[in-house]
Amino acid sequence: MLAALAATALLAHEWWAIAAIAILVLAVCVGAPGRRWPYLLGASITPVTIFLVTPFVEVRGVHVLWSGPTIPVLGHLDVTTEELASGALQALRLGAVTLAFAAYALRLDHDRLLQAAWFARRSVLAVAVATRLLPTLERDALGLVEALRGRGVEVTGVRGRARLVSPLLAGSLERGLNLAEAMEARGFGRAGATRAARPPWTALDRLGLALAPALVTAGVLWL
Amino acid sequence: MAVGACPERNSGRHRGHFPDRPLASVRELRFTYPGADRPALDGVSLDVGPDEVVVLLGPSGCGKSTLLRALAGLVPHFHGGTFSGSVHVDGLDTRRVRPAELAGTVATLFQDPEDQVVFSSVEREVSFGLENLGTPPGAIGVRARTALASVGAEHLLGRQTTELSGGELQRVCLASTLALEPRLLLLDEPTSQLDAQTPSPLALAREAGWTGAVVLSEQRPDRVLDAADRVVFLDRGRIVLDAPRADALAWLAEHHPAFMPPGAVDASASGSGPTPSPTGEAICRLENVSFAYRGGPPVLIGVTLELRRGQIVLLSGPNGTGKTTLAKLAAGLLDPLAGTVTRRGRAAYLSQDPGRYLVRERAIDEVALGVAGDAERARRALASVGLGNHAETHPRDLSSGERERLALACVLSTEPDLLVLDEPTRGVDPERKQELASLLRHEAQERATLVITHDVVFAASLGEHVFILDNKPDVALV
Repeated sequence: MLAALAATALLAHEWWAIAAIAILVLAVCVGAPGRRWPYLLGASITPVTIFLVTPFVEVRGVHVLWSGPTIPVLGHLDVTTEELASGALQALRLGAVTLAFAAYALRLDHDRLLQAAWFARRSVLAVAVATRLLPTLERDALGLVEALRGRGVEVTGVRGRARLVSPLLAGSLERGLNLAEAMEARGFGRAGATRAARPPWTALDRLGLALAPALVTAGVLWL
Repeated sequence: MAVGACPERNSGRHRGHFPDRPLASVRELRFTYPGADRPALDGVSLDVGPDEVVVLLGPSGCGKSTLLRALAGLVPHFHGGTFSGSVHVDGLDTRRVRPAELAGTVATLFQDPEDQVVFSSVEREVSFGLENLGTPPGAIGVRARTALASVGAEHLLGRQTTELSGGELQRVCLASTLALEPRLLLLDEPTSQLDAQTPSPLALAREAGWTGAVVLSEQRPDRVLDAADRVVFLDRGRIVLDAPRADALAWLAEHHPAFMPPGAVDASASGSGPTPSPTGEAICRLENVSFAYRGGPPVLIGVTLELRRGQIVLLSGPNGTGKTTLAKLAAGLLDPLAGTVTRRGRAAYLSQDPGRYLVRERAIDEVALGVAGDAERARRALASVGLGNHAETHPRDLSSGERERLALACVLSTEPDLLVLDEPTRGVDPERKQELASLLRHEAQERATLVITHDVVFAASLGEHVFILDNKPDVALV
């Protein structure tokens, strides 16, 4: 359903339909347990950027709100009402999509979802491991900062935080190697692997599967 | 007994325990990691019987973990390097059979459970190995639940692995290995994250009715020696002792008394140094302190604790009772929700994860980071923890025990008024622990020291002031 909502937001033309989808997935995110703000912040960066940049790269409309200088390559800078409206619509569209991804990360039992996939076992496993990457990196970063504070070194500013990127990546690589070693020791990659019985589909699962294509079709034809 | 003078070694004496053939057999194994200038294992020969418990002891970096990896086939297949000699497990030559093919016959519980977890849900995690071995789908769930129940972790079935404590995660990982019903179980420092009250994975496996062979490496011999049939002592990649437990205890008492269980040696021999006397001024005082992490239940309620210069206080209690939280409050890394924390002078805190002290490219730079680049102070701190000859080494090239000592050097170099150490002996060998205890006692008059440790031998060698945390309100200094 989340994928269908994201696709509908991309394909629909009516702003109110896109806004309704964005509000719906935002509500889903806000209702999720745990630390929501990193995901909401991440989901908002791209739409806000699109809204801010669009009026300067698009040439549309006659109702000029602000007229600026002429810049080489970019040409004459101005902002029109139509450009702002267009930027807002694109931002709303993209916001709905990124919020749908945030809802996926926050609300879904990834293991169960991936277990439901009956094909491409290795790819599914790669997705499972990658899904855990972001929270692990976040925890490692907090740990590094805390350990530095514990020996009297305060990490401040962009430059201070940027210095942690290299050890974080090195730590991530080391963890990846350890995990790969542990997976091999547990028989990963051996011929004849099986899958645990998948949990049966509920009525809600079936309803969601039926509604998803209907929603996308409605988005293309009427919204 | 020294190298070459151990009558048990190479004599074939232990093969008498298993009249048919040993389950695992290592012959003249010599292995060098890629880029290393000396072999990690140098002419090692060892037999393991079908139901034997073999305990590997030795200083940090002596080759214990490498030997375990060789028995799992991970050396050389996963790590590369130069390999000579042979390792056979259940008749399979590990040079020709990949580790994944050995899985099921062999199962490994690695040192850090967080680095071996693949899935977010406990049930999927335990099922993973069974799926790889081709277990019929209908049987996977049953065997996973049985394995969890066998180690007393059935209540964790519906939980997420990300929300488990270190001890709980270790049980889940043990269930994952026992679910495979291996003939040979390899345990790498299985008690490093467990409190004294929690049974070791070896004890849990035996309680679960599992009867295969076990080879384990351990830096807390007191937790495992009772269960050992044989003890193998490694030094610089060579076996210097391979003997039944009783003979091994006698040898250890003579050559490496620090490895003896408590009570077997004179207590005064461990952690020499003056007895700290808490006569100095109060450095840190926590008064009626309470704390809860955002959205979580209270972790500490009304805790009062005073730390004085010249005093070493041991913070004890089961896993999950808030010891680390209290330590962070004392060091100023957290602010209390209620109550007050007053502190005088500079505080330094050692995290229980030595992986957090791997920011720079050389060990000396890592230590100098906390002392404004003062290389001389950094060099002294490295020497004080026995890493004087590793100043130019990349921190990630150090063994786990050496990393722990590097982390110690990082905080000791700052010469704090309040030193807070959270599990400072993970992976550190008993002889280094004695040296650390001596160092802390010698320097005790210069500061107040708070130590969290599950290691009862290390605790006994440190101090007399014990603060027990058990989640009850109004806990006081005893």
